[in-house]
Amino acid sequence: MSRALLGIGIVALAGLTVVLAPAHAHAADAAAVKVVVNQLATQYMCQCGCGLTLASCTHGVCGPRDRTLAEIRRMVEGGKTPAEITAALVAQYGEAVLAAPPRRGLNLLAWWGPYAALLAGAVTILLLGAAWTRRPGPQRAASPSALSPEQRQLLEEELKKFDA
Amino acid sequence: MSELGNLSIALAALVSAYGLVAALLGAGLRRADLQHSARNAVYAVFLLLSVASGILLYQALTRDFGNAYVASYSSRDLGFWYTVSVWWAGQAGSLLFWAWLLAGFGAVVVWRQAGYRELMPYIIATVMGVSVFFTLLLAVVSSPFARLAFAPPDGQGLNPLLQNPGMFFHPPTQYLGYVGFTIPFAFAIAAMATKRLDDEWIRATRRWTLASWFFLTLGVLFGMQWAYVELGWGGYWAWDPVENASLLPWLTGTAFLHSVMIQEKRDMLKVWNLVLIVLTFGLVIFGTFLTRSGVLSSVHSFALSSMGPLFFAFMAVILIVSFTLLALRLPWLKSAGDLDSLVSRESSFLFNNLILVGAAFSVFLGTIFPMISEAVRGVKISVGAPFFNQVNVPIGLALLLVMGLCPLLAWRKASLANLSRNFLFPGALGLLTAVGLIVAGLRQPVAVTAFALSAFVTATILLDFHRGAMVRRGHGEPYPLALGRLVLRNRRRYGGYIVHLGVILLFAGMAGSAFSSQQEAVLRPGQTVAINQYTLRYEGMSQYPTQSAMVTAATLTVFNGREPIAVMNPQRNIHRGHEEQPMTEVAIRSTMMEDLYVILAGIGDDGTANFKVIVNPLMMWMWIGGVLMSLGTVVAFWPERREALRARARYLVGAEA
Repeated sequence: MSRALLGIGIVALAGLTVVLAPAHAHAADAAAVKVVVNQLATQYMCQCGCGLTLASCTHGVCGPRDRTLAEIRRMVEGGKTPAEITAALVAQYGEAVLAAPPRRGLNLLAWWGPYAALLAGAVTILLLGAAWTRRPGPQRAASPSALSPEQRQLLEEELKKFDA
Repeated sequence: MSELGNLSIALAALVSAYGLVAALLGAGLRRADLQHSARNAVYAVFLLLSVASGILLYQALTRDFGNAYVASYSSRDLGFWYTVSVWWAGQAGSLLFWAWLLAGFGAVVVWRQAGYRELMPYIIATVMGVSVFFTLLLAVVSSPFARLAFAPPDGQGLNPLLQNPGMFFHPPTQYLGYVGFTIPFAFAIAAMATKRLDDEWIRATRRWTLASWFFLTLGVLFGMQWAYVELGWGGYWAWDPVENASLLPWLTGTAFLHSVMIQEKRDMLKVWNLVLIVLTFGLVIFGTFLTRSGVLSSVHSFALSSMGPLFFAFMAVILIVSFTLLALRLPWLKSAGDLDSLVSRESSFLFNNLILVGAAFSVFLGTIFPMISEAVRGVKISVGAPFFNQVNVPIGLALLLVMGLCPLLAWRKASLANLSRNFLFPGALGLLTAVGLIVAGLRQPVAVTAFALSAFVTATILLDFHRGAMVRRGHGEPYPLALGRLVLRNRRRYGGYIVHLGVILLFAGMAGSAFSSQQEAVLRPGQTVAINQYTLRYEGMSQYPTQSAMVTAATLTVFNGREPIAVMNPQRNIHRGHEEQPMTEVAIRSTMMEDLYVILAGIGDDGTANFKVIVNPLMMWMWIGGVLMSLGTVVAFWPERREALRARARYLVGAEA
């Protein structure tokens, strides 16, 4: 009797699993889609004019945001890759839909300009610094406040203490 | 009343122009009477703009909706303090606020720093020149006293986004910071005009610079906090053009605060300091221009206007006049000092300046790049948060690194022994932190680097405090007293270090956002949503009217495991007069570890409610960092009588010579 009950239980459980499995898979898919959509929402600008991404549009009710998010969700569910979604949105709304300009052409100025400027600045500092450290010390020697070796020694010691 | 307001503004514009001319003529012709008259003009402008401001406030508080500005930004149901904030809520009012602050600061300089006699006429001329621009805008382009043909029974009310306590903190502190930088700029112009190009102008404006930086810092932080609690998307910084505009002068102003120390100590970087203060002031005007012109779309787009070209022209005048003057004075700006070594604290300051100005350039370029793209390619593009985060994060980390290196390096020349002794403990701590975090499972390289660098910098600063206190203890002082006196006797240095500790906490909070998590759920009463260790149960919805809005509030019980720990009430409010724009009021539960942030994203007709729940780690540390930054600035700002006397004595000796 108990074996029969166990058998029925196992069959029932197996049946339940078969029945519920698609629902679980569907829920898992929906969650995965949501994660991808949320991620993509940070990459595209909202078209309502707020100047922010879809993820951070500040309007409580925003038709353009909800429409674009729905389009993205449809495309994700349809199995499109992020690159395909980007291409579709750019075709529809223009390049301005991208929250970061694509890395090509003039846009490279925005992407690499700051680093080029920093590099140029660093080289300038190193060159100027080297020149300043090599500069002969007539100003220092001629300065009325020039120190004697003993005074310099004393100062060095005090400075060491101070730095410590 | 409005006529009197208009008259006050027109007179302020005229007197500003007179003050500018009288100051310049007084200096050129060496006429003491004209110089004296120019000084009085500053007081008069302040008085006239105080009258205009008083009238505007009176009209707002007495609900005089015949005044178009008052009708546009207030309503009968607006509370007292929000009605006061109408002063800076709109374009005309905020320009009046700007001009009034400027005249006030000018009056303080004329009154308190009258001893700088040779510089004063040019300081007045600069302040009055800026005042001419703003008062003319108020008189001709954007008057806060324009009248409507018929007074409506009620006003349109204040934009619901602005009805937040942040309205009393963010705009005033932002403007105090912006306007404050006019004074160091005016001293710099005066120093160039008079060829008094030693460090006196820097010493004379040190506290103005610090105060302006302090208020600008507060302005930026209050803005972040306001955005976090009000805008309802879970973040605090969206790289919006107007946010960027507030960051730009902060970055160059921070570079200036550091680089002036090199001029004071080593008589170097004279040209660079002048460039930095001109840039900082130029960026202040650029920030006001961006906020007020509406040239770039922004969350601050309630400030749309057509005065962009005028601001642009004014910016051009400032830069052309300043840099022409600078070019003419180059022969007088040769540095007397030398670098002893490239491995020294001086050179770390140079790199600190490079990174801060590089960051400013990066933010500036990103902000205006949509305009560049449209002008060059004819293609509209957007430059949003993903761009700024990618470009600026490495720059921010480099800044953090330099902040840690700086206190480790000795002035003039760091010896190998000095380096190895100072680097060992902080370097090891930074490395251990990185390894510990990786072992604990953290995989985001940026966050791991940020936390490791934060540990490194904290160690360098605390080591400096400890060593200083130990030296004093060697003279017989107990350790706590030694530590206290160390800070009090070297307020500038240790105040600066306290600011740095605040910056580290700020960075740690920002790095924490790499680990934020988010859940969205459509719930019926009784259903739950789980996120991390929290479970939120939706209990139901309630609706009630307030003085200015219809509030719809959800009630959620928050459980940590099985234990109920809080009840949260995110809201969705419809303000009267703004029915088309429902406002989300988020509910936030803050702890030292993380914020639980709940947004009521939507309400269904079928009794469901749509919630967005976010867990933001370490947010509290950002605000504590802000408090520390403010505290450190106050310590550094606190007057040291000896130093002030020394500066005055130097100035007088210089004047005699």
